[in-house]
Amino acid sequence: MLRRGDYLIFLATLLLLPWLYFTLWGDQRAGEYAQILVGGDQQALVSLHQPQTIEVAGALGLSILEILDGKIRFITSACQGKQCIHRGWINLGGEVVSCLPNQVSIAILGGEQRFDAINF
Amino acid sequence: MSEPGYRQILTQPRDHRIAWWAALAITIHIVESALPSPIPGLKLGLANVVVIAVLILYGWRDALWVALLRVLVGSLLIGTFLTPTFILSLTGAVASMLALGVTYYFSRMLPNWAPGALGYSVLAAQAHMLGQFTAAYLLLIPHPALFKLLPVLMTAALVFGVISGMIAAAMIDKVEKRAHSGTSG
Amino acid sequence: MRCLLLLIVVVALSGCDRPSAHSHKQQMYVFGTLVEVIIWTEDEAAATEAMSQLSAQFQHQHQQWHPWEAGELHTFNQQLTTGKPTPTPDSIAPLLQRAIELSVASDGLFDPSLGQLVKLWGFSDNLVNVTQPPDATQLANFIKQAPHITDLEINNGLAQSHNPRLYLDFGGFAKGYAVDRAIETLRQMGFDNAIVNAGGDLRAIGSKGEWPWRIGIRNPRGEGLIASLQISRDESVFTSGDYERFYDYQGKRYHHIIDPRNGYPAEGFSSVTILHHDAATADAAATALLVAGPEQWREVAKKMGLSQVMVITPRGKISMSPAMVKRIRFEVSPEPNINVVDW
Repeated sequence: MLRRGDYLIFLATLLLLPWLYFTLWGDQRAGEYAQILVGGDQQALVSLHQPQTIEVAGALGLSILEILDGKIRFITSACQGKQCIHRGWINLGGEVVSCLPNQVSIAILGGEQRFDAINF
Repeated sequence: MSEPGYRQILTQPRDHRIAWWAALAITIHIVESALPSPIPGLKLGLANVVVIAVLILYGWRDALWVALLRVLVGSLLIGTFLTPTFILSLTGAVASMLALGVTYYFSRMLPNWAPGALGYSVLAAQAHMLGQFTAAYLLLIPHPALFKLLPVLMTAALVFGVISGMIAAAMIDKVEKRAHSGTSG
Repeated sequence: MRCLLLLIVVVALSGCDRPSAHSHKQQMYVFGTLVEVIIWTEDEAAATEAMSQLSAQFQHQHQQWHPWEAGELHTFNQQLTTGKPTPTPDSIAPLLQRAIELSVASDGLFDPSLGQLVKLWGFSDNLVNVTQPPDATQLANFIKQAPHITDLEINNGLAQSHNPRLYLDFGGFAKGYAVDRAIETLRQMGFDNAIVNAGGDLRAIGSKGEWPWRIGIRNPRGEGLIASLQISRDESVFTSGDYERFYDYQGKRYHHIIDPRNGYPAEGFSSVTILHHDAATADAAATALLVAGPEQWREVAKKMGLSQVMVITPRGKISMSPAMVKRIRFEVSPEPNINVVDW
């Protein structure tokens, strides 16, 4: 014979379990925030889940960043080589993309950091 | 047909009653620890049946005594006292007793919402697993990969909770029938 | 009973109260790149102190060792150009000494005396205002009279250049050398678990508590990682690649690692990854092997005392030394075919 309280406990459990599977078994490598640095100092901390374009004033001029669907990239930058733009989207925790001439860099925070450092 | 002598057994001092139930829990605990298990530390937790039965029959304080005596005496008898196994077992017991306690005293205020043996048992099993897992993570293996196991363990806890809840319900039923019929074993 | 319960809770939770070590991370712009320092410690204040000390140390080195900005190396270069014996500044002598040793070991494939050549290509100042490669005859003329580090004669601390075109530019090597000095500084301050990552080239010491440091190696072509490895003692991972600094001109890519034999960007490999104890050797070796190309890389690697090397050709063909195979774990699927070479 089940009581109302039993159903309540079952309900809570049935909500808890899928949530656990989802959060602990899902792709945890994706980060949550992008830290935008100019010359090594944090300028802004933005959520990757809020689509927007951001203008950052670097050493040479403006760098424009785009956030979409949990990813971020450089779309324009006041540098010569444009390597920051070539790198494309980044979204994994611990990933870093930087425009060295303009001294603007983006680091992804949150997510499971699989690596302590990236060699390239 | 209630005779004074039998009534005396039913109204024995609380300590005696706790000792009797604790002894039962400890026996189950030891038997269960001798059985092989597919995953170390993953057990049906049949000793919890006794704790749930005591909770419903006599209240949370008695259940707490039974639970703690089970962990303490059980580990002394098996020889795991103060080992990691004991600490995990103790954390699990404390966590499940805290969850049961909160629910028990809330349901006293809202009697219509009081769970039965099955609800308490599922709750206790989940809290027990969560407590044990936290202790294992903090004290034994603080590796993030351990979290991958948690959903599976919690699912197992749900199944085990349902099983021991049904056994506890049957046990409570028997005890209450005996109490009503006035016979005792 | 309350007391008992309280006691149990305290016993159960006492594990949480230990101050636990964790990573302290800081990024700094220096040497024209992003340098990241990670220290694994429980002493946050000391880590912060170490970070600012390292930052100052890097800034100082950058200013001392920059070939073209006003500083000690710049002045030293000016004096060398005159051809007269000139005292080597203390701040440069050990760096120069190490660079000469490694240059000789690399058969001149790594050569820090080619500052003028690097400048000719425009790679000396972060590619500002560079759009096309230098004139071919200009390059040919330079190569005909190209300096070598052996043109620099050092006697009792007095240096004398026998080639007016000799101009010291340690380039990336200064970075590798600075990484070694930074690790030295950290050890002196009592930190035995740390990473110094200078723009992707790094040295890691100790470990992260019970776990080794995990290093990802970026895919030279495309996004993401190609492989990973773990470091739990003291090792440097250096990669030289044609994708680090380059510009495209008329459909051709010109990158920053110049072959001293012909004056043009090295061809044959798109990246070379070296695993070695000290960062300075790994740095010079990564450059030298990229220049050496498919024919000579093994010979040069052995001569420089390396055992763990991975090379990737522009078409994505991967070759490795046997010792490297044991260390690398691929992060792409399907796993690429690798060619394990005799060593």
